[in-house]
Amino acid sequence: MIFDRRDLLAGAMALLGTELAMPLARALAAEAPPAAAPGFAASHTIFTADQRSLVAAISERIIPTTDTPGAIAAGVPQFIEMMVADWYETIDRNDFLNGLGVVEGYARVHFATGFTQLAPEEQDQILTLAMRNQIEGEGGFFGHCRQLVILGYYSSEIGCKQERVYVPVPGRYDGKYPYAQVGRVFSA
Amino acid sequence: MANYDFDAIVIGSGISGGWAAKELTEKGMKVLMLDRGRMVEHRKDYITEGKGPWQLAYRGNLPPAEVDRDYIMAKWGGAGLSAQTHYYNNDRLNPIDFENSKPFRWVRPAQVGGKSLIWGRVALRWSAIDFEANKRDGHGSPWPISYDEIAPWYSYVEKYAGIAGSKEGLPQLPDGEFQPPHPLNVAELWVKERLEKAMPGRKLISTRTANMTEDKPEQGRSRCQDRNMCARGCSFGAYFSTQAVTLPAARKTGRLTLLSDQVVTNLEYDPRTKRVTGVRVVDANTHEAKVWRSRIVFLCASAMASTQILLNSRLPGGERSFADSSGVLGHYVMDHVFRTGFGGTVSDPALEPYIAYGRRPNGVYIPRFRNLNGQDADADFVRGYGMQGAAGRGPAGAGGFGKAMKEAMRGYGPWTIRFTVFAECLPYKDNTITLNPAKLDRYGVPLAVFNVTFRDNEMKMMRDAALQGEAMMKAAGLTGVNSSNEEHVPGDAIHEMGGACMGEDPRGSVVNRWSQLHDAANVFVTDGSQMASTSCVNPSMTFMALTARAADHAVKLVKAGAI
Repeated sequence: MIFDRRDLLAGAMALLGTELAMPLARALAAEAPPAAAPGFAASHTIFTADQRSLVAAISERIIPTTDTPGAIAAGVPQFIEMMVADWYETIDRNDFLNGLGVVEGYARVHFATGFTQLAPEEQDQILTLAMRNQIEGEGGFFGHCRQLVILGYYSSEIGCKQERVYVPVPGRYDGKYPYAQVGRVFSA
Repeated sequence: MANYDFDAIVIGSGISGGWAAKELTEKGMKVLMLDRGRMVEHRKDYITEGKGPWQLAYRGNLPPAEVDRDYIMAKWGGAGLSAQTHYYNNDRLNPIDFENSKPFRWVRPAQVGGKSLIWGRVALRWSAIDFEANKRDGHGSPWPISYDEIAPWYSYVEKYAGIAGSKEGLPQLPDGEFQPPHPLNVAELWVKERLEKAMPGRKLISTRTANMTEDKPEQGRSRCQDRNMCARGCSFGAYFSTQAVTLPAARKTGRLTLLSDQVVTNLEYDPRTKRVTGVRVVDANTHEAKVWRSRIVFLCASAMASTQILLNSRLPGGERSFADSSGVLGHYVMDHVFRTGFGGTVSDPALEPYIAYGRRPNGVYIPRFRNLNGQDADADFVRGYGMQGAAGRGPAGAGGFGKAMKEAMRGYGPWTIRFTVFAECLPYKDNTITLNPAKLDRYGVPLAVFNVTFRDNEMKMMRDAALQGEAMMKAAGLTGVNSSNEEHVPGDAIHEMGGACMGEDPRGSVVNRWSQLHDAANVFVTDGSQMASTSCVNPSMTFMALTARAADHAVKLVKAGAI
């Protein structure tokens, strides 16, 4: 549910004339950010291929594909790799990597295969135990990872525009707007 | 007759400097406006405007290590948000003397337009009570000006800037020239009705703000679009900034020269004529020095920067500033106290069906109610405080994970309301900014040393505000009422004032009733440094009014041949 961007741009231009075209067009066109710029992609590889698959699998179980796309489609695994590589301080980075190892180790010990090879229900079983602090050495990893997935998903283009309702230029404020008219959360 | 490059030089291009440039050029003067920051052109250079979180570095938040390295003070003003980091001073490259300073948060901008691009836009008038306060309770330098003298200048700047607000008829918060107020939401209206009934005399109003609710086509500006991305710059020109409002007006005259990246190090003074004869700058990029000459100078570099420039403007052959014959230059540094908050939850099921559409740029305000008619019997402090807040609903917090969590997060949490207290800080002579001549910055300017602390009166006021706040929330029928109190560090409110305070007596003040230096009649200091007290309301409208008034007076003096 996206308010039509072309209409917004047309409305804004009618209001202020062509001078406004450039910055607003830039904003409303939702152009892709430059991938090389810091803060848009990991500056260096931090995960092994296995860790990367594991992060993707966990992310998708935390925010799965339903009637809207899930974490993988929204680019959450790449977001997590960037945060762990470039945003985290060393101690948090190590905690995160250790946590991945603990989850993977649990899968191998109790299911005799890697986490990514398990059925979704089995993966959920492990994540539920992690959430309840019932996995030895988990050390708060699940809460930490869940937070990253939520942050990455709801700040992604898919999260903002498909799961939530994105209105870049509301044009007015209505402090008594019926939730029933939208049935979703407006992205900030 | 001296050979001038310009009629006037305006140092700084923020809220005060922009108004000085507009008024002086419109009155026929040829003006040079200097700013230490880089150029930011309206619209073209608002590089993060309108972007969604996925289009911002790190989805909006700089890595903490980078924040702690470069923005140790600026982070308190929002420099850690990657959508606006480029508008803040790099505190590592442009530091204060941290080692010899008491904790102080000097949040500085890094561009032309100064803090006018990133300010909170709360647009309030001071009242008669505020201008009389120093005289009444004996703190600081008595104000030589009255509310009635300033009122027409408030009207003048409000009309041009475009201020949205409601008229309330309150003596402690005088009405102005307002566009219609931004609306309250359903929860704020709920609280307002119950609070005002339960506690007569307490008011909850739409915060008066410099975000317009009506277009100003003659200025090429349109009303607020409720994006609430103001601090990235606004191509609609909906809020007051130098870029959107005063700079276009000054440029339109054809008499403005604006130079960015020019760090003013000091003013050159001639003791024989008792005039400032030059403004010395160092180019921020090439480090080349140059002296500009003009008949008059408007010093509008911000409260602390203007004071720093004056302190660094020594008498020939001496260590002492030419502007300090009073001995109070750099004294009476103040800031609002504001790390106390309170709030609660509106649990009425009748509000449950509603949310907010749009992102309003302001909130609600509870004007001062303490010590209005002399001293309240139950108050163990002088002066008072106001409260700024807003009600809202965030996305519902959901536990667990998976489909159930995702669906639960499609709903909203409860309506909550939260306020922050803004309290007046008394002027204390020994709250100072000084210079350390042993430590120079990369432009050769001695580093500023801050020795500013909040005292007993401020702390008592904050304790009172927390108690009163909780009592008001309970009286209004909120649930989960609570208050919080964090460390109060001066500078934090970014309402720093004083350093070159105004007064009638040249032995106890730095500028006179016209914001004019007692020690040099051709210099006007019209930003926050001239303030002799802080009131409890946000100061920017007062800086605008005093600047426009000083410019009017200065041009009259020039025309009369007096300066």
